[in-house]
Amino acid sequence: MLVYIWQYVYTTFLRYWFKWLIRQATGTCELQRICSGYGPGASRTINTEYSLKSSKSKLLRGAVESSEEHLGQHVQQIMKEKNIKEQTNPRFKESLHTSLLQITGYESLYASVEDVRKEAFCPENTQHEAMLLELWELLMPSVTLESRVTKQWGDIGFQGDDPKTDFRGMGVLGLTNLLFFSEHYTQEARLVLSHANHPKLGYSYAIVGINLTEMAYSLLKSGALKAHFYNTVPGAPKLQHFHQLYCYLAFEFDKFWLAEEPESIMLFNQYRDKFHHVVRTLLENPRVSLTLSAPS
Amino acid sequence: MGLLSILRKLKSTPDQEVRILLLGLDNGGKTTLLKQLASEDISHITPTQGFNIKSVQSQGFKLNVWDIGGQRKIRPYWRNYFENTDVLIYVIDSADRKRFEETGQELAELLDEEKLSGVPVLIFANKQDLLTAAPASEIAEGLNLHTIRDRIWQIQSCSALTGEGIQDGMNWVCKSVNSKKK
Repeated sequence: MLVYIWQYVYTTFLRYWFKWLIRQATGTCELQRICSGYGPGASRTINTEYSLKSSKSKLLRGAVESSEEHLGQHVQQIMKEKNIKEQTNPRFKESLHTSLLQITGYESLYASVEDVRKEAFCPENTQHEAMLLELWELLMPSVTLESRVTKQWGDIGFQGDDPKTDFRGMGVLGLTNLLFFSEHYTQEARLVLSHANHPKLGYSYAIVGINLTEMAYSLLKSGALKAHFYNTVPGAPKLQHFHQLYCYLAFEFDKFWLAEEPESIMLFNQYRDKFHHVVRTLLENPRVSLTLSAPS
Repeated sequence: MGLLSILRKLKSTPDQEVRILLLGLDNGGKTTLLKQLASEDISHITPTQGFNIKSVQSQGFKLNVWDIGGQRKIRPYWRNYFENTDVLIYVIDSADRKRFEETGQELAELLDEEKLSGVPVLIFANKQDLLTAAPASEIAEGLNLHTIRDRIWQIQSCSALTGEGIQDGMNWVCKSVNSKKK
């Protein structure tokens, strides 16, 4: 309770006075101090985001909701309002612009991911079908698929004869992630699949992948991936960066599962939660960068 | 005596616990049903690898619902969850006519299980929101449900997506637990 009262008092009154005092003492505003105090990355962008969102100025608060093409204009207006001269602060403009690209980019990335997720897998859609067949070819290059509906799908970890019912709440997003992993990290994906087909420690490759897509999606939705993207993408993160994160999760989950040696596949959700906790902890580090490091 | 312990004493006796097993083929809608029962969001569901469990309060009971994945590969594990089951709920995708035979076989095998003998069974004829769904009566006939003599059973049409029919089914579940425990 006391914490809440303190937070309320701090954010509504004290923070403002502190800022004013420091401004009088140093002659710089909070945004300037952030931009000169931190190098590029999560610390700078997260602090900028907080400063802008809690600002009393409508212009500053509005900047985090601006669209990508209007950001340049917004930066100019902020510099004018805060009376920051480009000549004396050469780095400020670029720093703020990059941070704003990252902040607004995260929100638009979520919107694009949500669009792909909401697209249901549809057997009548030739593009969806082509993606599915390509997934098979990349994972099982030496085995031909006997027909579109076949038990063979079980070999790459779908549940039944037709993968179409397995995408469910993740829609085409689940398929796109599976395909991206096989396309860009073919060796790694095949290695993971071979582990998944282990007679004792195995699991269903494709549906575990769809479950990991759900993990990546909910992490993105909750804002937990901010630091990761601010550190790894020096601009607006795009769909491919989300797919990259999925690749990290798929590869790392496999390592985790093998190391933990679960008694049976029935314990999947328990180990999924444990893995989720590990990832969450990593994401709390402001220097986090979750990139797939494949063994050479 | 502290305020907390007084409050604790005032609280009525704890709810009776009921173990419910949710089985059926993959893509039947078991997890959606489970989430509906727990009033959770059903828009991000993924295939169940392993199982999910949730506890729901209903009509003075604490229902512990076990939702076990239905893919063929993990059906051999179903038996690990039979022990102490109070009610079996079997979920059928009423629109997946191609697999009626398969689902009928699985159900017949479950009803033959010694550990499940006499356990009341509720069959949810799910996905009634789909135009192609077979009515519950047709499914009951196809599965020869009328030949079940060793336990009480019920078939209930429902849509786990819209929630329709679920409450009726659960009312039957609670009623059958009551009559069994008396």
